[in-house]
Amino acid sequence: MNWPILAVELALAALALIVLALDLVWSREQQERLGAVTTVGLLLILALWWHQRGASGTGFYGLAVLDRFAWYMKGLILGASLLVVTMTREFLRRLPGPRGELYLLLVLAATGMSLLTATADLTLLFVSLELLTFSLYVMTAYVRTDARSIEAGLKYLILGAVASASVLYGIAMLYSQTGHTRYDELTLHLMTHPPTPAVLLGMLLILSGLGFKIAMVPFHLWVPDVYEGAPTPVAAFLAVGSKTAGFAALLRLLLTTLQPLHAQWTWVLAALSGATMLYGNLAALPQKNIKRLLGYSSIGHVGYLLMGLSSASVLGTAGVLFYLLAYLLMTGAAFLVVVAVSQRIGSDRIEDYAGLSQRSPFLAAAMFVALMSLAGVPPLAGFFGKFLLILSAVQGQLFWLAAIGAVNVVISLYYYLLVIKQIYLRPAREDTELTVGLPYRFVLYACLAGILGVGIFQRPFLALATTAIQSWF
Amino acid sequence: MINLHHYLVASAALFVIGFVGMVTRRNAILLLLSIEILFNAANLALVAASRYLGNLNGQILVFFSMTVAAAEVSVGLAIAILLVRHLKTLNADEVRLLKW
Repeated sequence: MNWPILAVELALAALALIVLALDLVWSREQQERLGAVTTVGLLLILALWWHQRGASGTGFYGLAVLDRFAWYMKGLILGASLLVVTMTREFLRRLPGPRGELYLLLVLAATGMSLLTATADLTLLFVSLELLTFSLYVMTAYVRTDARSIEAGLKYLILGAVASASVLYGIAMLYSQTGHTRYDELTLHLMTHPPTPAVLLGMLLILSGLGFKIAMVPFHLWVPDVYEGAPTPVAAFLAVGSKTAGFAALLRLLLTTLQPLHAQWTWVLAALSGATMLYGNLAALPQKNIKRLLGYSSIGHVGYLLMGLSSASVLGTAGVLFYLLAYLLMTGAAFLVVVAVSQRIGSDRIEDYAGLSQRSPFLAAAMFVALMSLAGVPPLAGFFGKFLLILSAVQGQLFWLAAIGAVNVVISLYYYLLVIKQIYLRPAREDTELTVGLPYRFVLYACLAGILGVGIFQRPFLALATTAIQSWF
Repeated sequence: MINLHHYLVASAALFVIGFVGMVTRRNAILLLLSIEILFNAANLALVAASRYLGNLNGQILVFFSMTVAAAEVSVGLAIAILLVRHLKTLNADEVRLLKW
């Protein structure tokens, strides 16, 4: 069986069971500590993850693999989970009622995401995708007393179920034509047989289902509503966790298994990449709600990431991995600020951020750095990531795509600056000071240090990303 | 003689029926029903292919997908109950606090 292959996932599942058991046994007062338990558990799993660096192998009868790529992506997912747990602890402070479930669901979703990175079989692809999605459905509708949260949950569930069904139908098509579900056997089959229409249809259906997960145009309709309606930590998890896991599945599927069909999917992805970037950034311009704005901007970022994938080169793929790291840090920082602010002022409207620089210079500065990095201002992490992705498009002779990418940097800078204008130039309506607790502050500092560190010392991180995907080319 | 092709056509027809249901129906319960039809379309194709090809991978996947579909609907029904409690409606078009 080779258990160590899935050590991180097994540990996450164990943590989920521990949280569940404690939630049942503990009294309401004791449940306040569940956040701390989850944080400690995730930190221990992070140590386990670090211990596994360089390890590789396949196990569970070829269902799962552990390689440098899976290891790298698992690190991102554990990082995302830690950020979201921090936000959740802050968020639950103002929310009456039971609280254990949110941590349980969070750990379960992280298990699904982590499994998705290790998937080497269509069966496990489907099951881990569903584990992650179900946990997120419930998390989205978690605030049972808030009609907006319920509505977001319903919309996410209905559209998500169609996406799941299309993945399953795509798997059925591939299987009926090839007779295989394991990635390596599929690759061999596809290399020796010319693709039939049903194989291509299956590929497109799986791509559209995964495209839903990562919020690629035209499967993005749920994003703004769900980001606005869901509890803010959940929206953050959708942005940094679900997207990373979706890209992990997509990268492995496209660059190993469907590599023989490479000529058929690169142009599809290139066209969708351009559309996604333009749509996300243009639709973000008139937004008044910060969560909705971040939702649209996350669609725009998916466009950049797809640009690297559609060039299907070492540079492009390493660029995607590097950008996912940068995206985790900068979106994580932005959402940390949003959670802290909305907990204190009770609003997500951008106009209520007016004068944040007077009320909390620290949160204002953190938001400034995060948004500048999202926009791609040097020397922050987002700049170098965007640079790599645009460079990979140029290298892949996709000049029009590179041009769209460059134009979008300017568009996105505009709406990020609108937020910064509110924070720094508008007078505050109230002058009560906003203070955040020390652990929260520490996590936010870590994100900011990451944004600066990854932006300035790119070399080790880029080397890590390159070694992760080298074996595929 | 009925062969794999017929089953695949039948499953494609089911998939289209489910999809049309998703697009035209507005009642949350009927939407969940359409989702079930979509899942079963895929299940039919998997089982038929599995039988035809003589390997069990497809049938194993169907066991998982049935469990998944059941879980999906139970989450969906829970959300539908919340919807009725808070908004007094099951019509997806009337649920529009957030912009589409």
